[in-house]
Amino acid sequence: MDFQLTEEQKLIKESVRDWFARNLPLERVREMDTKGHPYPQDIPKGLGELGVIMGTVPKEHGGQGLDWFTQTLIAEEIGYADPTIACAAAFMAVATGWGYTLDKYCSEEVREMAIKPALKGEKFVGIATTEPGGGSDVAAFKSTAEKDGDEWVLNGEKTFISGVEEAREWGGGYWVNVRTGEPPEDAPHKNMTSFFVPIDAEGLEPDKPYRDAGRNALSTGGFRMENVRIPDSYRLGEEGKGFYRTMEGFDNARLLIGASSVGVTQRILEEGMKYIKERKTFGKPLAKYEGIQFELVELYREMEATRLMTYKTAWMQDKRYQDGSFKPKDVAKWISMIKWKAPHLALEAANKAMHWLGAAGYSDEYMFEMAWRGVMSYCVGAEGGENIQKIVIGRELLGPDYVPYK
Amino acid sequence: MIKVDQEKCTTCGICVDICPVSAIEISEGVISIDRGSCTLCGVCVSVCPVNAISIKRKAKTEDTSGYKNVWVFTEVASGTLKPVVFELLGKGRELADKLDQKLCAVIIGSGADKFIDELGAYGAELIYMVDDPIYENYSTDAYTSAISQLITEFKPNIFLYGATHVGRDLAPSVASNLGLGLTADCTDLSIEEEDNLLLQTRPAFGGNVMADIICPNTRPQMATVRPNVMEPLAPDENREYEVIERKISIPSRSVRTKILETISGREEHEVGVEEGDCVISGGRGMGSADKFEVLDELAGLLSGVVGCSRPIVELGWIPKSRQVGQSGKTVSPRLYIACGISGAIQHQVGIRNSDIIIAINKDPKAPIFDIADFGVVGDLHQIIPRLIDRLKKR
Amino acid sequence: MNFIVCVKQVPDTTEVEVDRESGTIIREGVPSILNPFDEFALNEAIRVKEKTGGRITVLSMGPPQAQEALRKCLAIGADEAILLTDQAFAGSDTWATSFTLARAVEKLGKYDLIFCGQQATDGDTAQVGPELARQLNIPQMTYVESIEEIDDGSVICKKETDGGYQRVKSGLPALLAFISTPAFEPKIPSIMEVMGAKSKTLSQWGIDDLGDEDGDYGLDGSPTQVIRVYSPPQRGEGVIIEEPPEVAVDKLIEYLESEGII
Repeated sequence: MDFQLTEEQKLIKESVRDWFARNLPLERVREMDTKGHPYPQDIPKGLGELGVIMGTVPKEHGGQGLDWFTQTLIAEEIGYADPTIACAAAFMAVATGWGYTLDKYCSEEVREMAIKPALKGEKFVGIATTEPGGGSDVAAFKSTAEKDGDEWVLNGEKTFISGVEEAREWGGGYWVNVRTGEPPEDAPHKNMTSFFVPIDAEGLEPDKPYRDAGRNALSTGGFRMENVRIPDSYRLGEEGKGFYRTMEGFDNARLLIGASSVGVTQRILEEGMKYIKERKTFGKPLAKYEGIQFELVELYREMEATRLMTYKTAWMQDKRYQDGSFKPKDVAKWISMIKWKAPHLALEAANKAMHWLGAAGYSDEYMFEMAWRGVMSYCVGAEGGENIQKIVIGRELLGPDYVPYK
Repeated sequence: MIKVDQEKCTTCGICVDICPVSAIEISEGVISIDRGSCTLCGVCVSVCPVNAISIKRKAKTEDTSGYKNVWVFTEVASGTLKPVVFELLGKGRELADKLDQKLCAVIIGSGADKFIDELGAYGAELIYMVDDPIYENYSTDAYTSAISQLITEFKPNIFLYGATHVGRDLAPSVASNLGLGLTADCTDLSIEEEDNLLLQTRPAFGGNVMADIICPNTRPQMATVRPNVMEPLAPDENREYEVIERKISIPSRSVRTKILETISGREEHEVGVEEGDCVISGGRGMGSADKFEVLDELAGLLSGVVGCSRPIVELGWIPKSRQVGQSGKTVSPRLYIACGISGAIQHQVGIRNSDIIIAINKDPKAPIFDIADFGVVGDLHQIIPRLIDRLKKR
Repeated sequence: MNFIVCVKQVPDTTEVEVDRESGTIIREGVPSILNPFDEFALNEAIRVKEKTGGRITVLSMGPPQAQEALRKCLAIGADEAILLTDQAFAGSDTWATSFTLARAVEKLGKYDLIFCGQQATDGDTAQVGPELARQLNIPQMTYVESIEEIDDGSVICKKETDGGYQRVKSGLPALLAFISTPAFEPKIPSIMEVMGAKSKTLSQWGIDDLGDEDGDYGLDGSPTQVIRVYSPPQRGEGVIIEEPPEVAVDKLIEYLESEGII
């Protein structure tokens, strides 16, 4: 085991950190969070030039052929730079986690049309799986696709989708899961198929975006599909195997959002430390009080533990893709652990830091409250909520007989 | 060890004419150097048009005992002596007295003789003068040659230069030419009791540490000294001095750089920020370029000069020559007033040696307050005009 | 044209913290960076090379880990890098450093321009550039802000003086020591460039590669000796007031009087 980063990894981290310090300092993050979506496109275009969006996509498809470990380091830096997690959500979890998986299963036509522009930050690609009736509960899926000659006709409704407004403005489209047949009663995940659906497809009607609690620079919305016709070449992977492709996409997105959350925690602790060393009460800096110092120390310990878990998970994910020495199920357990742990830790760090600062921490004078609102999105649900992660971990620990949904 | 590359040599004879000790001659169509009389001053090396002569030096002076006196380099700018010259003479006086040696000024220029009275009044006992039109404007090549030659001939013990743009260009060139040690940007100098060595003190690591440096084996012991740190003597026209003039002519073609244009960044005789005894700097908090007028007014009342932080230069409000900080000027005034400057560490590095730092900023968290002796949290647009009124009434 | 850029890896002095109790520097965890003045020089070299064509060789002296800084230079756009690293070079002052660099430049052979940073932010001596120029017997221009014109035989620079600027012309080869401009934004290497740097040549040279074993290398070859390093006297705790303007100005006047300024 080698815990040393390579020269390249160190340089990439440095480049990402420098790029964000120049182009997206905390003041701008605050401005963007206050102003709200759509996300300013100079950021993804710059990130595209830097080569960090979909860095894991193979070179021959226009990506950088990075390993997941390096992509994880990048995601961590992006969480550090933008602790509202809007940037990491848009361009790591969604555009990269899902984009990579999309690229893996899409046709050359979709790649040229969507992937290549998206990794340059010119278009937006995302994931649309949740429906008004259910998200994680795949049995509740209602959207359908029917084959008509060489085309598919899609109907249904998708909601709580990241980046709908951005996709409309910049162009792009979504990974959309639909039923292509009735599933067997005991296997609701079967007969699900994934498609790429361009945002400007005829019959696709976006809803008004939601007003979210946090990560406001990135829109969340939904769309309805009424007889949306797309060619068969837009299908992602085999017919009826959409569930497995989707799980793979989740794995990649969850890994990156876990890493970004570690970055958020790092930033919160750094900014918090600055404050508690400066601010004095009763003649002493806050940092001297054990009530505060020990909270900081505990959070720090948890952060380092979570970072190690994240790095190990990224390393396993590389093995899974490189030589198959870890099976998707082996990795999924670890991914669920960090997806559960890392955003909650960031939330806790923000919560504690806000307490250290008191009223100032609750105000927009400091970054803590926007981090707190932002990372909450990944605690409550985005890319699968806490309980779904527990089900995955429990299933791997106890075996499939003990899953709660059977 | 001096060597002539006979393959490159065209026997043009320039070096023969220039050699101050007549150690070079052409015999039977080849250049030969008499190692016995050669002083390794390096003048021939810099004048050779084909780079045929080279000197490989060892940084070691064989016998240091013959080296005496404290020398000060006299820098002239826009027709006047730089203030740092008087400061060097003040410090040099102290060092020379301690060593019981003479304090000497070295002046090189065109029409240099007009400054010698002033140098004498400020404490120079002996003035070495080199006067020639070639020295009208400073050039590394001509000045390095002339000084190297003076050093070789007169063997000073200590040689001080101002840590100005010219001093920091010239001193290392001379040091390298003669294989000498050199300490940069000293803020204090003294003589060690035991061995009479020059103890050179300078900040390093962005001003976070101080280092004491000696130079035991090469002579002269050379240092550049930060302006505005040392105290000049009060001038006294009755002080006696002696002038030694040397004719060192250097062919113009051996000056390998040519000044095409000089663009003045300040009015004539205007004091630079690094020279001001009171520096009043404005930062982004000033709001706009015209607001700097109040700083000018305040500077007028406090006999100060106006400087600024880096963002102000970026905005083009004030020329870069007035920028204070790591990438600008390092200042050490008696009083530094930072107005609307947040005080990034790069700025702090440039002002740490100020005696007193006053900061006015509306952000109580601004890092400038970390190093301020007196900090006012408040709106500078309200505070400074009131301060000006109060000072005017006095 | 052949360009040599001399760089140094330095501790990020802006990240240095001083232990308030003992007054000593906390060196632990201080990141190493490419000296900002050298980074400017390298960016300028790349800008010039885009016009003239040619090759940029980066030269540095330092411990083996300084290789990271050189890799960054390659990612930014240098073509080749050489790290002079040897126990024998340790403890070099500016003379010994310039002596060592000069041997390496001679070994590299033909070159047109040497780019240096005016100074390094750790030592702040600004001496290595001029000392190197004199060792190589080439003309020097210090405090350079930009190269305005360059052709096969000469270069015209804009350089800062104490009182403003000068435009100066010099024949080639020459050495230029660069300051930085306030608006300078160093190039941030992309992932493609970082990965591309992997395949560029980065060599390490020791004393055996430079020859002249009796030369002025390292501590023994350094005429100056650091005999003591200590922390500067700490500034006393300042007084910070937050009062209405009238009261604040009263107190400020009082302070200026008490310090004998007015």
